[in-house]
Amino acid sequence: MSFLEVKNIKKNFGNTEVLKDISFDMDKGQVVSVIGSSGSGKTTLLRCLNFLETPDSGSIRIKDELLFDSSVNTALSEKEIRKKRLHFGLVFQSFNLFPQYTAIDNICLAPSLLSKEDPSIDASAIRDRAYELLIQMGLSNRVDNYPHELSGGQQQRVAIARALALNPDILCFDEPTSALNPELTGEVLKVIRELADKKTTMIIVTHEMSFARDVSDIAIFMDKGVIVEQGPSKEIIDSPRLERTKQFLAYYR
Amino acid sequence: MFLSVTGALFAGFLNTLKLFVLTLLFSLPLGLIISFGSMKNLKLLRYPVKFFIWIIRGTPLMLQLLVIYYGPGIILHANIWGSGDNGRFSAALVAFVINYACYFSEIFRGGIQSIPVGQYEAGQVLGMTKHQIFTKIILLQVIKRIIPPISNEVITLVKDTSLARVIAVYEVIWEGQSFIKSAGIIWPLFYTGIFYLLFSGLLTLLFGYIEKKLDYFKIK
Repeated sequence: MSFLEVKNIKKNFGNTEVLKDISFDMDKGQVVSVIGSSGSGKTTLLRCLNFLETPDSGSIRIKDELLFDSSVNTALSEKEIRKKRLHFGLVFQSFNLFPQYTAIDNICLAPSLLSKEDPSIDASAIRDRAYELLIQMGLSNRVDNYPHELSGGQQQRVAIARALALNPDILCFDEPTSALNPELTGEVLKVIRELADKKTTMIIVTHEMSFARDVSDIAIFMDKGVIVEQGPSKEIIDSPRLERTKQFLAYYR
Repeated sequence: MFLSVTGALFAGFLNTLKLFVLTLLFSLPLGLIISFGSMKNLKLLRYPVKFFIWIIRGTPLMLQLLVIYYGPGIILHANIWGSGDNGRFSAALVAFVINYACYFSEIFRGGIQSIPVGQYEAGQVLGMTKHQIFTKIILLQVIKRIIPPISNEVITLVKDTSLARVIAVYEVIWEGQSFIKSAGIIWPLFYTGIFYLLFSGLLTLLFGYIEKKLDYFKIK
C-alpha cells in the first residue's frame, strides 16, 4: 500500500468544478511535482490535503490512516482536523510569516503550543531544533531578525523551517518561488533540493519546469481540474505523450 | 478665589475622569464582542447587530443620554437608575459605554478584517486552535493597526464626557460655568479648557509611546 493515497477527490466552489476527479498516490521519500496552468486546481488540491478546504467527495489515506472519506459522513471536530492536518506541512506562495515574531520564534511558536497538550513533545528541545533548522536553511545569521528585515528568499526559507519543525509526513509547497525574483528563487530551490536529497517526502506545486524535472520523482500535470498525465517527471516533462501536456510545456521552452 | 475655583474644578474633573475611565473599561471589551457579532456569518445575528450599530452611531450621544436616563421611568414606570447623583452617573455611564462600544466595534472589525487570511491559514496548517491563532497571531497585529483610530476615539471621549451634564452629572464644565452665575467671572471656563488640554496631551503621549513600542515589527 502506498504512503499517500488520494482517491477520487472532487471539489466545487459554487457552480465551478475546481477538482473533478483527482487520484494519485506516492511513496515515502518521493517528491511529486504538480504542474499546470493557473486555475487548473493545483493549489486547491494542496489545500484539500491540508484541510484548508474540505473535498466534496473522495478519500485521503496516509500510512494506512484514513484521514478523510466523504462516504463516512461525520463532521470532524476542530481537534480531529488539527491532528489530521499535522500529517502535512504547507509552505505558502506568500510565506505568511508572523510579523511580530523573530525568525526563530516563528518556528518555535506552534511546537511550543503543541507541547502543552502533547507530553511526548520535549519543550526544552524545541529551540535547539529550530536553531538547527535555521542553520540547515543557511540562516544562522538571521535567527533573531523579524520578517520585515528579511528578503523574500530568506522569509520563505524561514517558512520552510517553520513547517519542518512539526515533522510532517509530507511537506507541501504551493508555488514557493512565485513571489520571488530569479536570484532569490535560486536560494529557495537549493534548499528544497537539499530536502529532496535527504529523502523528505514532498508535494511541490511549481512553475519551475527544469527544477521539477530534476528534483521530483513523479510529475503530475493538471488541467481544468483533472490529472491529464502523470508519471516519472523526466518522461512527463521531456517527452509528454498527450497533446495538452505538450501545449502547456511549450510555454517553458 | 483661584484656590476655590481650582478646588471646584478638580472635584468636577474627578467625575469627568471617573466617567472616562469606566467608559473605556467597559466599552472596549463590549466593543470587541459586538465586533464579533457584526462579523458572524449567521445573518440572524449579524443584521440585528449592524442595525443596532447604525442606530447608535446615527443618533446624537446627547439624545441617547436623555432617552437612557428618562426612558425607563417614563415608558416602563421603572426607576432603574435610582435617585441622586449616583443614579444619574450610572445612566450616563451606560449611555457612554453603549455609544463608545459601537464605535470601537467598527474599529475592531476594520482591524480584524484587514489581517490577511494567510495569517490564519499559516496558523491552521501549523495545528493551532482558533483561539491560539487569535491570541498569539492576530491580536497584536490588530492592536498595532487600530492604535491610531482608537487614540482618536479616546481623545474624543475625553471631551464628550462633558455631554453628561445634560442629565445633570456634575463634570468639570458644569463646575466652571457655575462661577458665571455665582461670581460673574468667565476665566474658570477657560481654566476647564486647560484641564482638557493637559489630559488629552497626556493621552497623546501615551498613545505615541504605545505606537513606538509596537514599532519593532511591520505589517505588510
